[in-house]
Amino acid sequence: MNTMTIVGKTFSKRLMLPVITSIVCVLTTGLMSFAHARDLPPDPYESVMWENMAERFFPGDKVIFDERVKVIAPQSAEDQFHVPLTIDASEISDVVEVVAVADLNPIPHILTFRPKKAHAFLGFRLKLQQATAIHVGVRTKDDVWHIGAAYIDAAGGGCTAPAAVHGTVNWMSTLGQTRALARRDANGDARMTLRMRHPMDTGLASGIPAFFMNTITVRDQNQEVLAELELFEPVSENPTLTIKPFVSKNGGLLEVAARDNEGHEFGFGLSVPAGIDP
Amino acid sequence: MMTADVQKSRRAFLQSLAVGCACCAYGPAHARLLDYKLAANEIASDTWTVYGASEYFNFDNGGNIVNVAFIEVPDGVVVVDTGPSRRYGEALLALIEKTIPGKPVLRVYNTHHHPDHCFGNQVFESNTLASSQGVIDNIKLEGDGFADNLYRLVGDWMRGTAPVAPGKVLDAKTEVVGGRQFSHFYLSGHTSADLVIRDDETGVLFSGDLAFLYRAPTTPHADIAQWRTSLGVLAKTDRDLILPGHGLIDPKGESLEQTDDYLSWVDGTLRDAVSQGLTMNEAMALPIPRRFAGLGVVQTEYVRSVSHLYARLEDNLMPLIEITR
Repeated sequence: MNTMTIVGKTFSKRLMLPVITSIVCVLTTGLMSFAHARDLPPDPYESVMWENMAERFFPGDKVIFDERVKVIAPQSAEDQFHVPLTIDASEISDVVEVVAVADLNPIPHILTFRPKKAHAFLGFRLKLQQATAIHVGVRTKDDVWHIGAAYIDAAGGGCTAPAAVHGTVNWMSTLGQTRALARRDANGDARMTLRMRHPMDTGLASGIPAFFMNTITVRDQNQEVLAELELFEPVSENPTLTIKPFVSKNGGLLEVAARDNEGHEFGFGLSVPAGIDP
Repeated sequence: MMTADVQKSRRAFLQSLAVGCACCAYGPAHARLLDYKLAANEIASDTWTVYGASEYFNFDNGGNIVNVAFIEVPDGVVVVDTGPSRRYGEALLALIEKTIPGKPVLRVYNTHHHPDHCFGNQVFESNTLASSQGVIDNIKLEGDGFADNLYRLVGDWMRGTAPVAPGKVLDAKTEVVGGRQFSHFYLSGHTSADLVIRDDETGVLFSGDLAFLYRAPTTPHADIAQWRTSLGVLAKTDRDLILPGHGLIDPKGESLEQTDDYLSWVDGTLRDAVSQGLTMNEAMALPIPRRFAGLGVVQTEYVRSVSHLYARLEDNLMPLIEITR
C-alpha cells in the first residue's frame, strides 16, 4: 500500500511536471517582458544575456554603466581554468556590495564581495566555459548599480572538467592548505593575498558533486568585519584572492575565516606591517 | 539513410553556399584560397630554411609562425620540424621537391611537441619521423588538445590535420643520415623535452624553441631555470650558425643571449610581483623594458607568460600559513 502511494505520487508528479514547467515558462516570459520595460542601458559588449543578468543579479530600477568600475582582464583566456580578473572600483565611495557574473557560464554568478572596511578592490581567477562578457555590478548605499564590463575570448570547457587535483592521490590531505601574505603598497595601502587549496568543483564534471569554498570573512583584531566574500562555483581551483583592507598605519592583525559548502572551516591570522606615510 | 543522389545534391548546395560566401568582396581573409606561399632561403651550403611570421597564431598566417629547415645530404633530404598543419606539410614537401628534385626524404626531426613544429608530420612517411622519447610522449599526451586549440585559433587552415608522433626514438649522441653526420642534444626548459640538432658538416645548429631571435620567447610549458641551463649548454656548443625556432638566422649566438636576458627579466619581474602580492592582472600591466621592444609580439607573449608562470611562483614564494580547522 505504502509502495503504491509512492508510485502513485511519483506518477502524478511526473504528470505535473509539464504543467508546472508551462506555468514557470509563462511566468518567466512575463517577468522577462517586465525586464524589458525596465529601460536598461545597452551593454557595450552587446551580450545576449545582459538583460537576463541584470534582472537576476542587479535588481532595482537604477542601473548605470560607470567607467570607475574597472574590470581588468586579458583579452583572451590563456587557460580557461584560471582566468585572472581584477575589479577596481575604489574611486567609488559608499560601496555596499560588488557582484561579478560571467554571462555565458553555465553558472554565471562568480562571487559577491562586500568591502565593509576595505577598498572596492578584488583580484581573483575564474573558470570560463566559453568566450563571454563579464559584468560587475557595484551597488552603492543609494541603491544604484554601477556596472563595469569586460569581454574575454576563451576556449571551451573550463566549468565542466574535473579539478586538476583529482588527478593526484589523497587530495583531501592538502584541503585548506593556505599561503598568504600581507604588504603595504607604495602609497601605504594595506594589501592581502591569500591562496587556499580547494578543488572548487562546480558539480558539472561527471560524477563529481559541487564542492567549493563559499564564504570568506576578514576581520580585524577587534572582530570588526573588514570584508566579506561569497564565492560560487566559477571561482578557480585553489582560490587566490587579493583585497585591500583598511588597516591602521601602525599595523594590525587580520583574522580570516573561510568555510566550504560541506561545512569545513579554515581560519588563520596574518599580521599587516606598519605603513609608512606615502 | 541518405541516398547517394541526395547526398550529392546536398553537397552541391553546400558548395554553392560556400562559393557564394567566398565571393563576397569584403569576406574575411580566411575565406580566400588558403596558400602558405612557402619560400626556401638558403642559409648555408645545401641548407634551406622556410621562415615563419614573427607573430602569434591567427586566421591570416594559418599558424605559419615557425622556422622549418631542410638539408640536402649525399643520398637524400633531412627535414627539421614540419610546421603547423597538414596543409603546411604538403606545401613543404612540394617546396622540397622543387628545390631538390628527385631526392627522397630520409629523416624528419621534431625538435619538440608544440603544434607549430610537428603538425605537418602527417605527410611524411612514418619510418622517417624521429625524435627523443620525451618529445614523442608529449605529442601523444597533448597532441589532441593542441589540435582543438589550433583549429580554434587559425580555422580552416587546419583542415584534415591530426597529430602524429614519430615512430623512431632517438637516444644516441650522433646519427649518420644519407651520408651526413648529425649530432643530437637532449635538453629541456622550453618544454620538458627539447631536441637540438647539429649538422656536423655545415655547423648549423637547429635550436628549436630554446632560442628565439627578435621574437619574444613563449612559455606555456617552460621551466625557466632548466631553460637557462640549456642555453648555457648551447652557448658552449661548437657551431657556425644557429637557426632559432622563431626569428632570423643567428651567426653570433645573439639569440641565446637575447632569450636568456628576456627569461631572466620575466622570472625576476614575476618573482617581485608575487612577493608584493600583486594580482595577475597587475603583473600583466607592468612595463616591459625598452631593450625588449624589438622582440616581435613581446606584449602578447609577456601577458601569456604571466598566465603560465604566476601560480607556480605563488606556490613557491608565498609563505605557508598555519591554519585552524
